[in-house]
Amino acid sequence: MLEVRAIHGGYGRADILHDISIDIAAGETLALLGPNGAGKSTLMAALTGTLTRRSGSIRLDREDITHLPSHDIVARGLALVPEGRHMFAPFTVADNLRLGAIRLREPTRARLAERHAFVFDLFPRLAERRSQLAGTLSGGEQQMVAIARALMSSPRMLLLDEPFLGLAPRVVEEIHQALDVLRVSGLTLLLVEQKLDIALSFASRACVMVKGRIALEASSAELASRSDLGDLYFTLARDQTLDAP
Amino acid sequence: MQDLIEILISATAGGCIYALLALAYLVVLRPTGVINFAVGDWGTVAAFGGFLALSEAALPWPVGMAVVVIAAAGLGWLTERIAVRPLVERGAPVLAPILALLGMLVIFREAVSLGFGPDPRPIPQPFGYGRIEWGLLAASYQSVFIIAVTSAVFVGAWYFFERTLAGRSFEAVALDRRAAALMGINLARVTSCAFAAGSALAALAALLLVPNTSAHYLMGIPLAIQGFTALVIGGVGRTEGALVGGLILALVEQLTMRYVPIAPGLVQGVPLLLLIVFLLVRPTGLLAARGGSA
Repeated sequence: MLEVRAIHGGYGRADILHDISIDIAAGETLALLGPNGAGKSTLMAALTGTLTRRSGSIRLDREDITHLPSHDIVARGLALVPEGRHMFAPFTVADNLRLGAIRLREPTRARLAERHAFVFDLFPRLAERRSQLAGTLSGGEQQMVAIARALMSSPRMLLLDEPFLGLAPRVVEEIHQALDVLRVSGLTLLLVEQKLDIALSFASRACVMVKGRIALEASSAELASRSDLGDLYFTLARDQTLDAP
Repeated sequence: MQDLIEILISATAGGCIYALLALAYLVVLRPTGVINFAVGDWGTVAAFGGFLALSEAALPWPVGMAVVVIAAAGLGWLTERIAVRPLVERGAPVLAPILALLGMLVIFREAVSLGFGPDPRPIPQPFGYGRIEWGLLAASYQSVFIIAVTSAVFVGAWYFFERTLAGRSFEAVALDRRAAALMGINLARVTSCAFAAGSALAALAALLLVPNTSAHYLMGIPLAIQGFTALVIGGVGRTEGALVGGLILALVEQLTMRYVPIAPGLVQGVPLLLLIVFLLVRPTGLLAARGGSA
């Protein structure tokens, strides 16, 4: 479904991503692991068109989306739940969700109702909170809005950038269950995560990013079975920290 | 009492002009972060457009006004394509388009000066020079027209920003450009529309003003200062701020003119004085943004 070939890119003059190539099949769940500063969020920005300075190619269902602006990428079915949620805080939950559906194909009243029903079924708490200002929600509820908002466009593929970051274990479990529903439904998922246990329990395959490169790629089962996994991950992260300027 | 009421009505009409100019700044500033000082000279170009349409071609006021406002929207759209978009696409810092727009301001002014010369050009009053009198209340037709048009514009702006998906998209871009882009909002289109709307609003303000003052190629400077001061007084977080700022500025100007014994020329310094005071004491303006965002 998504073919990423030799992506280079960064902010200003500094290149953060170096020769990144990834393939994700339709219906697959891929985890992108790596320590802070590895370039995971920059890669998400490159995939969704918010990082303009890049080279290489990105294809979604064989269509070249490399040079498309973000709104056209969303329209083609690739949605991102950004790190930090990026709520429109003064807007209600309903307004946030409606904006998420701005690129919904055939946005008829019935289709919008179907999308609302889908996300409220996934996160029933949001139905109760639909008239509440997003900025007044708890962190976990805001994360639910962020995921629901991205799902309102009925994406073919969903990118999730550290969706569990800073959340209480009970909320992590709740969101994990919702993402499991999406995974089982066949939605293609790319999960950016720092924690090995969460990522490997969720994804079928994982890539480890270090210093803007893919350092390791394997099935989750294969990675989980490595007795030196913890040490390996720690070593990769430490090497990056030591190399940092 | 009669004196005070007349001052209040005059201040309300003048404040409406300032409010429209402040709104012209606001609709550009909110989604783009760009302070566009060319607002005043968009008004100058529109005023001379009004001279051509209403005085020279003698079009009926509604037709002439519509033609000039639509043409002004086109000028705003063109300004964005020429002076702003190329810089944004190259990732230039926000100061670059502000400076480019200052350059456009000079181009507009000099173009008007070359085309029409230094003499003021009269524009006819839409309803003549009559007055409406109702008890203690008395106002010129033009003042009533200005207040009515401005009220309609602000009600329309409120409805657009609060009740329509397009308006919410504008606000979303103002709050968080990246998140808005990730929702699928077309940032380039929002920016173009913001400039077109800003220019149309500046044109409307100028067209409402010039029947009382005539069109002059230097009229853009005070318009730019008054509009910006009204914006700073009201705050950039809410549409109503532009209206509140405009009314307060005009009221202070009128009261100064009437009750403070200073030379008439010095009254022009009132907006600058208020601007300095607000920037020092309350730079966020009187009305805070909803939800705590600016």
